[in-house]
Amino acid sequence: MHFFSVIRWIAWKDLLSEYRNRENISSMFFFALNVILIFSFSFSLDPVTIKEIMPGIIWVAFGFTAIIGLGKSFLIEVNNDCMEYFQTLPVPKGAIYLGKFLGNLLFMLTVEVILFPLFVLFFNLDILDQLLPLLLISAVATIGLSALGTLFSALTVQVRAREVMFPILLLPLSVPIFIGAVEATRGALSGDAFSMYSHWIELLLVFDVIFVIVSFWIFEFILDY
Amino acid sequence: MVATHFIGKLRKFEKWFGIVAGVLIAVGLYTGLVTSSPDYYQGEVVRIMYIHVPFAQTAMLAYSSLFLCSIWYLWKRESVVDNACHAAAGLSLFFTAGGLLTGSIWGKPTWNAWWVWDPRLTSFAIMFLTLVGYLMLRTFLDDKEKRATFSAILAIIGFIDLPIIHFSVEWWRSLHQPLSVSTRGVSIAPDMLIPFTLMSFGVGLLFTYMLMVRTQMLYLEHLLEAKQGRLLNEGQG
Repeated sequence: MHFFSVIRWIAWKDLLSEYRNRENISSMFFFALNVILIFSFSFSLDPVTIKEIMPGIIWVAFGFTAIIGLGKSFLIEVNNDCMEYFQTLPVPKGAIYLGKFLGNLLFMLTVEVILFPLFVLFFNLDILDQLLPLLLISAVATIGLSALGTLFSALTVQVRAREVMFPILLLPLSVPIFIGAVEATRGALSGDAFSMYSHWIELLLVFDVIFVIVSFWIFEFILDY
Repeated sequence: MVATHFIGKLRKFEKWFGIVAGVLIAVGLYTGLVTSSPDYYQGEVVRIMYIHVPFAQTAMLAYSSLFLCSIWYLWKRESVVDNACHAAAGLSLFFTAGGLLTGSIWGKPTWNAWWVWDPRLTSFAIMFLTLVGYLMLRTFLDDKEKRATFSAILAIIGFIDLPIIHFSVEWWRSLHQPLSVSTRGVSIAPDMLIPFTLMSFGVGLLFTYMLMVRTQMLYLEHLLEAKQGRLLNEGQG
């Protein structure tokens, strides 16, 4: 099978199975909805406070939904004995990683696109002018989160206490993503000029490039077992 | 064969590292805590530098050796190298915790806070969490080869992430004093530089000595487990 068709088929398989059972997406969605509701009860909704705390709220919700979704990424493969099949695929194992990464990325972006209007609704945000930068920030931050999350999902799926280990490994190492995403989102929501926060997006891009390449290379060692 | 040769070398040289480290630390502590002059601004408080900075430097050295050992393991697949990785991770955690603790004690009188979100502090805190995650991952994996490979992968990823973490927090906020000794020159009084250098080398050598001893211990544990496994199998057979 061709390298790129492996990537395409794995991503397609993941999205299709998620579309059919909607198990992950519903748990992620309702978790994030709870986070939004609890935050909207907890904080006063005056415009100054909202602008100050909103980036944090958005990325807490996205970050934790990512943990719920990405952590289970390889569980389905182990439960259905698909890991052996992956091991015997006659392509570089990195292609399997890229397929899973692409599936996770599209899946996470879908959840974020569904959640974003809820933030606007519950917190009375005025984001129409800043929609494009916000989408860009979400995309670059989610690429990094999916890259690292997919790798750690494969790493922890064969470990005892994987539900504990996945966030313990993922959260400290994704600190640059959260700092970059929160600061860039703060800039966008405050209506700053793009050039004032574009360095955060560049940092996120550097993180994305490094971790997609490193994970692609290192995935072979994980799949050997 | 490689393992026995390697362990033999460690046994041969370890005591010299221990002796030199002991002498350097003893002289360094005496000159640092007793004979060197107090700082113009910080007064006597500055003396914690002779402990804090060598600990922080050695934590970096330990984490770098964990990174190199991890690459070495993935390349050669020698179980004794995994023992060295395990030893380096535990020691790295020890020196990181020491660096954080002494830094916190130093931070209170100088910055008037036990903790601040400064690039170097944050990088160290995240290094600490990564190392805790590393050691936890090891305990949760039963298969030896899988444990060695997965933990090596985590160490490599963590090491690559450190500069990005440092950079991101540096942009976010910065408070730490600039490095006193760097490639651009030295900005420290000579009577402080001598104990500081002695302590830096002393603690570095202490780490090397501890790494050698701990690697041998873990290797012997590994041999013992293998022997017990063989005896059990023979008993069943």
